[in-house]
Amino acid sequence: MEFPAALFPSYFGAGPPQEEGGPAPLAGWGEHGQVLEGGPGRRQVQPAFVPRRGATGERWEAADAAAVPVLLPRAGCWIPSPAPQDILYRSGLCKKLRAGKSRAILDFTRQLGHFFVDHPEDAFGSLGRLLHKNFYLGNSKLQRPARSSTIRMTALVEDIDRLEARRGCPRQHLASRLRWFSHLCRDWLFEVPLGLLADCLHEELMQQWSNLLFDDSLTGGALAWLPPEDRGTPVGCLVHPGGQAMNHLYFQDVVLEELPRTRGAPAQFELSGRIQQVAAARVDGQDFVGVRSDYHCGVWRLLGKRGAVPTPLQVIHTDVPASCLTVSPHLPGELSVCTQSGTVYLWSVETGLQQLRHDPQTMFFRDHSPWRWSDFTAHPRVLSCADRTGLQCLDARAPKRCHFDLFKVGEEAGCQQGERVVLPMYLGRAHPSQYLVTTQFSVYVLDERLPLVPVLKWAHMMKAPPLFAHLMPGKPGRSHKVLLGASRTQELLLLQYRGGSQSACQLAGTPQKLHSIAGCLQHLPTQLPHRHHLLQQRLTAPAAGLAATLQEDGLHKSMLIFQLSEAGDVFCQRLTHNAAQPPAPPSRDEATTAPGSSPLFEVPASSPQGLAGEEEEEEEQTFYLSNLEVIIDDEEEDMGTSAPLEEAELLQERCANPQPSPAVPSPAAALQYRRWLRALSRACKEPPGHTWSPSLSQRRLFTRKDLEGPVGPSSLQRQMRQRLRQTMKEGGLIQHWAPLALQPPPLPQALEPAGGLDPLSARLTAAWAGDWEQWWEERTSFSVAKRQQALRERRRRQKRAQGRRSLSASFTSSLTYQSELSELSDTGPSVLSPGRPPLLSQEASPPAGSPLVHSPATSAAPDEALLSSQSLRCRGIPKERRKTLRDYLSVWAEGPPEPPEPLGSQASQLCIPSSQSQLSSASQPRRKRPRMGF
Amino acid sequence: SSNEHKLNFRKSKEACLSFIQDALLQKEWKRAAEFLTCYIESLEKDYSREHIGPSEMIWRTGAEILWHHSQSSMKEFNCFMEQMKTLGVKRYLKVCLEHVFHLLCNGQIDEAYQNLSLAESWRFGEQTAIQDKEMKLIQAYRGLLDYYSWSKQKNILLENSEDGFSDSAVEQEMHGYFRKAAVNLKEIIKIPGVWDIFVKCYVDLLEFYGDHNEARQVLNEYAYNSKFPANPNAHVYLYQFLKRQREPKKSLISALKILHDIVPSHELMIDFNTMLQKSKKRKKRRLGLEVIFAALDYAGWKENVKAWSCLARQVKQIVISEKHLDWIKQEWNSRKDWWPAFHFSRYLAKRNWRENKSLSYEKALVAGILLGKGCKYFKYVSHQGCKAQLKRFRMLKKFVNRHNPVYLRISG
Repeated sequence: MEFPAALFPSYFGAGPPQEEGGPAPLAGWGEHGQVLEGGPGRRQVQPAFVPRRGATGERWEAADAAAVPVLLPRAGCWIPSPAPQDILYRSGLCKKLRAGKSRAILDFTRQLGHFFVDHPEDAFGSLGRLLHKNFYLGNSKLQRPARSSTIRMTALVEDIDRLEARRGCPRQHLASRLRWFSHLCRDWLFEVPLGLLADCLHEELMQQWSNLLFDDSLTGGALAWLPPEDRGTPVGCLVHPGGQAMNHLYFQDVVLEELPRTRGAPAQFELSGRIQQVAAARVDGQDFVGVRSDYHCGVWRLLGKRGAVPTPLQVIHTDVPASCLTVSPHLPGELSVCTQSGTVYLWSVETGLQQLRHDPQTMFFRDHSPWRWSDFTAHPRVLSCADRTGLQCLDARAPKRCHFDLFKVGEEAGCQQGERVVLPMYLGRAHPSQYLVTTQFSVYVLDERLPLVPVLKWAHMMKAPPLFAHLMPGKPGRSHKVLLGASRTQELLLLQYRGGSQSACQLAGTPQKLHSIAGCLQHLPTQLPHRHHLLQQRLTAPAAGLAATLQEDGLHKSMLIFQLSEAGDVFCQRLTHNAAQPPAPPSRDEATTAPGSSPLFEVPASSPQGLAGEEEEEEEQTFYLSNLEVIIDDEEEDMGTSAPLEEAELLQERCANPQPSPAVPSPAAALQYRRWLRALSRACKEPPGHTWSPSLSQRRLFTRKDLEGPVGPSSLQRQMRQRLRQTMKEGGLIQHWAPLALQPPPLPQALEPAGGLDPLSARLTAAWAGDWEQWWEERTSFSVAKRQQALRERRRRQKRAQGRRSLSASFTSSLTYQSELSELSDTGPSVLSPGRPPLLSQEASPPAGSPLVHSPATSAAPDEALLSSQSLRCRGIPKERRKTLRDYLSVWAEGPPEPPEPLGSQASQLCIPSSQSQLSSASQPRRKRPRMGF
Repeated sequence: SSNEHKLNFRKSKEACLSFIQDALLQKEWKRAAEFLTCYIESLEKDYSREHIGPSEMIWRTGAEILWHHSQSSMKEFNCFMEQMKTLGVKRYLKVCLEHVFHLLCNGQIDEAYQNLSLAESWRFGEQTAIQDKEMKLIQAYRGLLDYYSWSKQKNILLENSEDGFSDSAVEQEMHGYFRKAAVNLKEIIKIPGVWDIFVKCYVDLLEFYGDHNEARQVLNEYAYNSKFPANPNAHVYLYQFLKRQREPKKSLISALKILHDIVPSHELMIDFNTMLQKSKKRKKRRLGLEVIFAALDYAGWKENVKAWSCLARQVKQIVISEKHLDWIKQEWNSRKDWWPAFHFSRYLAKRNWRENKSLSYEKALVAGILLGKGCKYFKYVSHQGCKAQLKRFRMLKKFVNRHNPVYLRISG
């Protein structure tokens, strides 16, 4: 193999990196790097120079507006992997705590709680069975003989519920009963000792969190494209994982037409673990496909003939999770495997495993990551092995003796501080001795004949480290194409380079950003909000693999790029080669494209970095527009010229453009989108219920008692209906419900406990109206201390009824004044004025902006309805006498036995069905003040 | 409040940068330029302490846009770069270098030279290590351009002398260029690095003026100093120099031996092998076999007819003479478990036969000797060859059949 006669000049230092680290936006632009004499004009008078970066490259243009789905979603909904909000603690208190530091706080207690709820058998199994008889879960009081050996758990459960409801409240006081119980039981109640369990859980949480920050198990990608053996047929095979747990391996034949389409049913294999990586190589006309899951690696063989069935060859089991599996491009049935314990194996299907190295330490300096990687080199017996600090090459025949350093994170390659190897890849199909190494900042091309000195280096500026790479070798004289893909941000970058044998390596053309999966969201038909949310969640799932193929028929060259997401979707886009090189791009693109169309900005909602980072990251999604205005302001202030202003306006206009689409998808693509959406909605019939907070389980929301429906309509309702029917029959008009009020008020009956109906219906209606939280708050605050206080108050008042009269009178007079005001503004009198729960404290009043807040769920108590000035007026009682009557009635109302359930629940007996009352409440924006103490 | 204002300002700056980045990645230079004009604002209140400041970003993006923008001209680019030089003191030299590179790539050698001279005279306080490196590079590139001027004068002079008259002024000028070039080039190649063009030019200068010792020293230093990277070109240059100097075979072989040790797959290994095969010493012929076997280990040599014919010739020689079969045996030992699959599979036999008959001939010979006449590769190729009635393939078949016992001795 030829070696370039002269290389680009570069310094060579040794030791740790000197340059200060840190992500540098735009660091990859505007630099030639170095120049070298070369090129065609050697015999000319003047020497001709070529740059290391900046030479012209091939022009590839996207054929469609966005990526198009290749496979239809299969049945069984995708289970999203944990998002930051699932495992992080988020509350006001917490925000205050971490205002200074940017550290994330894991929500440990919630997760432990989940474990207890989800796995009660494992958590409390044996003692639960033992104590079964001693725990009583009913509501009624315990009888005497049982009381000595049984505790009533209902109160405890209520306490816990209350705690749950007040989660994050700074003034949260622990119920002493709970503290007492936990103090008593924590040593013996748990099946697994609590400390041990907590340790394990914490470890797992930390693991999950670090995975969210950077998940290296996906390195290499789980998508492979097996091109057709003879170039004539446009049928290749796509190897991809699928299924709910991504543990099914599919070999799907795909016909490459304008839009690739599947052909026939895929060959399917069920594996025992989540597929993390699919690697493939073609040797001697056969495709070898290596599949890595955490503890198992397998290899399949696919003969190059069409319609061949993939045959599984061998499976190995590892004790430690495997971090890498690569397939030899040189010898059939050879693979290399690395495990997280630092062991590198050469795996031959015929001879089995050969351990090449075992070293839990990293190679060049200490790094905590157990990630290891290995790949093949130009010599079939020499393997590279990598960790985060660099790459070494080992000879499999004498791995201890024969090795050399290929790449080091250090001054040798001009690295930055903190730079780490993310993905090494053998570029053998482009040039037998070339190697690609990506780090979180840069991408390097190495030549193993000149180790340690990268022949090419470029800052890729990607927002997430490139975990996937794919090479498309160019024919002699044409550039090689390298695709880099990131997982979390779904970024895809196309680079071109050339050289390596006759001439030195050069980057050709500018890097190009390709469509990501999430980018097609704007081209999909409009969805209902919650569907849109689900769709967005699915489409912004981290990428899990990358594959591509070059297609040539005659002059027409195109490139097909497949991208796999963690949800199992495979999307595809086509780039076409533009050989003509038009001088200027079509103006249409520039005129209609707006910023923000780029998925590069759209940090997916589940971005963990946003949480790990600073506080303001949360607003990241919204600031674009407003802050461009800031620039505009500055320009106005500082310069006072009109020219930049125009530009700023232009800018603003673009930002405001809601549909930032470079073009519309082709009809075929649009059809494919629709088919995909239909299949998706069929596959996921049941949308996951709680979109707001995944921690709320229905079990805790509604007890069995709550769910018990009412036996039948109450007598009042029956009366109402009867009257309604009668009036309809007569063709009459119900002007007021007043005649009803003239009937003897069914007070004693109304004050009886209303059963389970009302809390539930009230809660549901509140939830429907959107202020469920507030209802809950009211209910809980009501139920503990308030009730006691209210009872005490009432008893005191009963005793001093006489002395209180004047005070009560003054109070009611103010009430009258209020109600008169409301009468003035109301369009029509309404007896059934839905108010807020009568025992509600004043400061908990809902915001004024929401008319539906005072929902009928918490409507007026009957005595309030009786006492309201409206109702009294309706009955023809003169104003001056109303007060006396009210006083009288209030005393009388205190007479009957006190209701065990909150008074709010009685309202619905007076209330006609909620839709009507909602209407009335909507038409009555002003509320009446609730009476204190009722 | 001012703090909030700062924060907002920073955010809008970042947003603007994102827009620029997005436009650049989509090759929308016009849009990027529009955003860049907004971003220039950020220079006014530069609160950032990031290691790449706004001035550098403006330089980078601006340069990139001007390279590609359909309406930009070289004049505009020069103007922009001049402004960028004054923008950041820390990056002055870097920007100068990049400017020069761009001029060079566009064939504006004289302007580039002027810029280099200007940059060389730049002084600002104490130089950092990076600036020091950049300054050295600037000097080296100036030396390189001086070398090209020298080379031009030299050609004029040579042409003139062919015509029979000499021009002392041109000669003087040439010597002047030599001095300037030599001083600068000599400096940079002392520092560890990859300096292929600089070394080549410097050696050319020295050789022209007959300073062979200095040239040899420079090349030896470049090839064997352990602080320098293991650059195969350094050894190649030394080898070529030695060849030009008509050095004895021995020193050539020792130079190539070292190259073989560091890059067994280098293209010069063919020359090395032929050189060794011709040698009368057994040890060297042995080394020759080793070299060619090692070269063929590499995927890049898999289909190299020259290499295969070298191996075939040497193996044939050994088999015919029946001496040193143990050499083959030793080489074969470490390869017999993977060469058959790597080189001699049936698939490859078919493909080689289809694509390159002479390659398949050489390979079949080697395969027949190393693996016997039952070997798939040999069988297929010899069968096809006989079917196609090619004489040499029939000879090949006969030869392998006659020497089949060798295979047993090699593999045994």
